[in-house]
Amino acid sequence: MICRTPKSHFFFIAAILSLALASQAGQITEELSFPIKHYTLKNGLRVILSEDNSLPIVAVAVAYNVGSINEVPGKTGLAHLLENLMFQGSRNVGQMQHYSFIQKIGGVLNAMTTVDKTIFYQTVPSNQLALVLWLESDRMTTLNITPSNVENIKNQLIEDIQLRRESDPYLENSWYFDQLLFPGFAYSHPILGTIADISRISTQDVRNFFASYYTPNNTVLSIVGDIKEQKVLPLIQKYFSTIPMGRPPPVTDLGELTKIAAIDETITNPMAPSPGFYLGYTLAPRYSEDFYRLAITEYVLSKGQTSRMYKRLIDKDKTAIYMGGGIETRKDHSVFKLFVRSNNDIMNERSRRAVFAEINKIKTTLISEEELHKTKNIFKMDYFRQFDTALNKAIFLAEDLLDKGNHGPWQEELEKYLAISHYDVSRMANKYFKDERILITLDIK
Amino acid sequence: MRVERKPFLLHFAFFAVLAFFFNTVFPLNAQERFRRSPPLPEPFSELSLPEIETHTLSNGLGLAIVRRQDQPVISIRVIILTGESSSPDDLPGLATLCARMITKGTTNYKAEDVEEKVESIGGSINVRIYPDYTEFTLSFLGDYLDDALQLLSEILQRPTFPRIEIGNVQRSMFYDMAVQAENPEFIARRLLYQILFESHPYRKIIFDQGSIKNLNRKDIVSFYSDYYHPNNAKLVLIGNLNLEIASRKVSRYLSSWEKKDAELSYAPLLDPQDQMKICFVDLPQAKDATIYLGNIIFPITSQDYFPFVVFNQVIGGTPNSRLFMHLRESKAFAYYAFSEMHLFKSCGVFLITAKVLTEYCYDAIQEILKEINNLRKIPISSQEIEQAKSYLIGNFPLTIQTYDNLSAKISEIQAFGLSRDHWERYYENLMRINTESVSPLGQKYSLHTPVVIIVGNNEIMEYLKDFEQVYVYSPDGNLRYKIGEKE
Repeated sequence: MICRTPKSHFFFIAAILSLALASQAGQITEELSFPIKHYTLKNGLRVILSEDNSLPIVAVAVAYNVGSINEVPGKTGLAHLLENLMFQGSRNVGQMQHYSFIQKIGGVLNAMTTVDKTIFYQTVPSNQLALVLWLESDRMTTLNITPSNVENIKNQLIEDIQLRRESDPYLENSWYFDQLLFPGFAYSHPILGTIADISRISTQDVRNFFASYYTPNNTVLSIVGDIKEQKVLPLIQKYFSTIPMGRPPPVTDLGELTKIAAIDETITNPMAPSPGFYLGYTLAPRYSEDFYRLAITEYVLSKGQTSRMYKRLIDKDKTAIYMGGGIETRKDHSVFKLFVRSNNDIMNERSRRAVFAEINKIKTTLISEEELHKTKNIFKMDYFRQFDTALNKAIFLAEDLLDKGNHGPWQEELEKYLAISHYDVSRMANKYFKDERILITLDIK
Repeated sequence: MRVERKPFLLHFAFFAVLAFFFNTVFPLNAQERFRRSPPLPEPFSELSLPEIETHTLSNGLGLAIVRRQDQPVISIRVIILTGESSSPDDLPGLATLCARMITKGTTNYKAEDVEEKVESIGGSINVRIYPDYTEFTLSFLGDYLDDALQLLSEILQRPTFPRIEIGNVQRSMFYDMAVQAENPEFIARRLLYQILFESHPYRKIIFDQGSIKNLNRKDIVSFYSDYYHPNNAKLVLIGNLNLEIASRKVSRYLSSWEKKDAELSYAPLLDPQDQMKICFVDLPQAKDATIYLGNIIFPITSQDYFPFVVFNQVIGGTPNSRLFMHLRESKAFAYYAFSEMHLFKSCGVFLITAKVLTEYCYDAIQEILKEINNLRKIPISSQEIEQAKSYLIGNFPLTIQTYDNLSAKISEIQAFGLSRDHWERYYENLMRINTESVSPLGQKYSLHTPVVIIVGNNEIMEYLKDFEQVYVYSPDGNLRYKIGEKE
């Protein structure tokens, strides 16, 4: 195996010797009425347990703190490739057997790659928790990264990009929009990667990426559902504590967060069925004070059928046939994105003017208490939805821990979002929806 | 470089000594014994399902309350026990248009006021129309039960069906239809139902732009006045409330809903096709062949429900079932191959769906038919039965996690008047299924004489010439011509 620093040796040995020792329990927090416990194994694996015995099921999410942001130029798509490779088998689990093991027992599973995380998740009957821990620990340590496996996945991913391009004629336009809106390579390149880059990825690249980031000390294991702590802890110890700690993950050069300059561009896409436009603004960093206020401002503008833009463009003026967007965060960076499509150029122009008119209106006129109250309730409902299944909860908890380094309390966090006044809505619009915005008009001729 | 290499070498030597020591315990490349094979499961945890408490208001409105406390939300489903099959014969689509119009304006609220009121309680409202019943779902923040019931009371009792909104809903339905018009799966399913339900009221679930354009406000008002009564409705509520409080609240807002005795028509039982029928739909832009193959089976209340659920699982419920393993994994004909059962009040449909490579279209159909014939002749092994049951038992609790999913399951039980077998005794009923109860089903139902729909481009015709007769349809379901002779 690859050599390790003396420090990681120490932990490797310590982990073996401490097989039977329980790790330190964290504080119990009771937020949004569910219990949470935190543990950290000696090899650095962070564990979250949340017990909910209402149904005999358990959800397990394994979240690796790595995503497309950790890729280097020329090797885009590597994080997503590795996500797919994780189903190709490991020392004791055959190719695609992870799927069949989970499906045979009535479970569901999937995985996702984001800008900064790769998450593998499943829900199974609670009597099968050990099976999931066995599967996840096997691929965390002994993944089969063979040239043939890598080639197969590369071909699949390239084909997948080609299919997506065919079925979504706007795909390339939205990637171009992201490039202008997110400053720097790390944030702006597509998670799927480019075909040229994927073709270039070697087996050794994949091995290096796996060794750098798929380590217990770069991972959160989140288990939610019908569990008993005294039974789960020994299982976690059994399957994960002997996995050697890795080196600290490499520091990724995120580049400088440069401010975007105003861009007003028209591009032509003859394959697109209808014209449209993209509009983007840079917002406050994630989890900053303004970020919480902007969340409600976004809802006023564009979330739900009674949001200002939807009502204006789709219901009242009927100038647009599609409108989508909202806040998007990529690590600590957040933006507001809007994509509108209309039947023809005249309607497209009217939609564009209407969007700017709505933004202007929110800047200059205070919204009513009723509207603010309604918006907050829609937001609240969406916030609660993040906890509505064991799996959603497991994923939320894992992401939250990776993002913030510590948890919740979510009731307080929700209150931060809801604390916004109607003055703040205008203030946020004036502060962030300024002239430095990206506007791309899409022409189809 | 040298300076940096030194600690590495020392460190390597240190590790080698340690490795020697550990190799006596764990040989090189060895692993802990427990990693070699999957762990055995623990015994199944008990599934304690929440109780469904029921009560009927004086106006005949049936209530079903399920108490759950884990979410700060409430889900309400209002079921009108009339679905698309009750649209007049010459007005298919009327039940759907009427249901979609219910939220589009009342005596006191305009359509947009209703939307505002729904969103102001953090809510959303959805409408679904089935052949036998219609469902309105309203989910909202738990603090707003009074507002939600007040709103439901208004839209159920005082809809005004404004003409301008009828136009809007019709246009939105046209748009949905246009989006679906080129989808091979949608085209195949629609034609299959069109042929299987040809002489039955369920055929009215197939309607086109012309049928919708044909409907006017008078038709909608008359349909509403015939069927939207409390004694033809049920209300399912999931939230942190007990029966007594929930009944009192619902009664406060909905007891004014006037009872009316309506003549309800029930769809008759339907016989299966007794001869196989091959139908081809020419969709020039389709790259692959989409196959839908099915026949009529039993109604949802049948005793065969549980054995057939297991039977369906064996043949095509998941990627581990026979069809997927055979057509995709072993023969490499198909992208996917599954089976489904859809059960209604007066009959059910068993269907097999597959997407296959054009050149293997004929072979794939033959393999599917061979699989069906095997099921008619060879008993299913108890190992396969147990594997199917293990999936179904494990999967059931996953399907009732959210309030909305739980409410959908309970609404189905309420709408069809299903017994406790489908709720409290669900596990028990699955557990007792064995080879003897499942194997006869292949013979009992006419699965070997299905209607076969193939959607694809006309290259497929070349591969279909071995069938005695092929009916060729347009994508919108009109018979163009027949090829071959068969009487």
